[in-house]
Amino acid sequence: MGWLSENGLLLGLAALDGLAYAASVFMVAVGLNLVFGVMRVLNVAHGSFYAIGAYTAASIGLAIAAAGLPSWLSLPALLVAAALVGLVLGPPIERLLLRRVEGQEPVLQLLVTFALFMILEDVQKLIWGVQPVSYDTPLKLLGTVDVPFGEDVIPFTAYQLYVLPGIAILTLVGLAWFLRRTLTGRIIVAVTTDREAATAMGINAARVTMLTFTCGTALAALGGALAVPTTAMVPGIGASTIVLSFAVVATAGLGQIEGAAVSALLIGLGRSFAVYFEPELEVVVPYLIMVAVLLLRPQGLFGVAETRRI
Amino acid sequence: MLRLEGVSVDIAGAPVLRNVSLVVPPGGRVALIGRNGAGKTTTLRALMGLLPIKAGRITVDGQDCAGIPAHHRAKLGIGYAPEERRLFGSFTVQENMVLPAEVLKLPPDEIARRLEGVYTLLPELRGFAPRKAAGLSGGQGKMVALGRALMVGTRAVLLDEPFQGLAPALALRYAEALGRLHHALPDVAILITESNPELLRPLVEATYVIERGEIGVG
Repeated sequence: MGWLSENGLLLGLAALDGLAYAASVFMVAVGLNLVFGVMRVLNVAHGSFYAIGAYTAASIGLAIAAAGLPSWLSLPALLVAAALVGLVLGPPIERLLLRRVEGQEPVLQLLVTFALFMILEDVQKLIWGVQPVSYDTPLKLLGTVDVPFGEDVIPFTAYQLYVLPGIAILTLVGLAWFLRRTLTGRIIVAVTTDREAATAMGINAARVTMLTFTCGTALAALGGALAVPTTAMVPGIGASTIVLSFAVVATAGLGQIEGAAVSALLIGLGRSFAVYFEPELEVVVPYLIMVAVLLLRPQGLFGVAETRRI
Repeated sequence: MLRLEGVSVDIAGAPVLRNVSLVVPPGGRVALIGRNGAGKTTTLRALMGLLPIKAGRITVDGQDCAGIPAHHRAKLGIGYAPEERRLFGSFTVQENMVLPAEVLKLPPDEIARRLEGVYTLLPELRGFAPRKAAGLSGGQGKMVALGRALMVGTRAVLLDEPFQGLAPALALRYAEALGRLHHALPDVAILITESNPELLRPLVEATYVIERGEIGVG
């Protein structure tokens, strides 16, 4: 009890922080999951889309401020940045690079996407330099909320409390609805399940792949764009993001949209508690969670066993 | 009319089909008999455009298929029920069957009409309709795969080893369904592969035997 009353507030703050962090990690992981499902290529450069989304959002936001436009525009600008990154980078990278390594040796796929990651990392430095870039207009715009916690209150930014988790929940619900209820969504699921059978049913798998890759890229960029008001962007952020979203996807099980949300929450909260209470464990906690889950359920928390044959 | 003329296919550098010629006339029922690894599945996959052919040509009603990508073969009216069913497990049975028709952008009333036709031919599917395909038994799944092939197979259906692994009672029901199919849709050709030549004799009009990628006549 003594420890809890002393650290209660910190605990609450860690939970709120973890929630906001999980929201942005979820966006990246769910994009990775979609792309892997359709292409069976583990895209190491996926984290770069997160970083580029973040930098682009900051640049657009700063341009809005410089042009003297109203500051509420900074919020839709985050979405615009994500869509822009998806549309500009997604199709050419899929067409010129990833399509060529589809169905090839995993080692080759890793090498090619790793090379792409290195190139994109340098492109970021070329465009945005190596100084930290921060942009917190959306954060200031919405102010703070006093979150009641026992007898105390925790002042927390409305952006992290509402906008981040809100957009993540919208993405989760929207994506689940899209994949289940629309023809395009079912076509993506069909290609994910069995590319050849889907092709024999008349589905143009190459087109579906490009569409999915573009969406996945935009989702990663959205994760970055949403994170930029809360974190300063520095070179290397793409690398730490991709590793973390690998952990989320592995913990959830491949192909699991809702599972990715739960495991992003688990890992986001775990990491956040570590940051507040045992900072030296911050880096390992996500992987400890992943290892613990995979030891008990090798197919991931929500991964389903193979379809029965007889 | 489906026609293969001197078709050769290599997989990973090894010849799997050699100079295969085969004709499935309109409304005809043709068996392709061969042991495992003889090239039956490869023949059907080549017809569906899922494998590049090294030599020879494939025509559908005289039209050369060389320039028709795999995802446009269904549009030619060819339904395909692959070996191992290959259903989409997270979809219901009905969603599985309707998908190829939706992909072809058939009008909803045409899809409903075809679906009704499939349920009339394969009445047991009506009961499974809302069930997830992943939960079906192997035999039930084969029925669904046949239904799915019929949704777009207005010209022909290619059935890859449908009797493989079926319990005798189910195999009988499946054979009866094929008989009903021929009476109900006499224009739809059936190309069916099997390893046991006796099983298909009463069902087909012509039989090809394939051995090590080469066709003889049985």
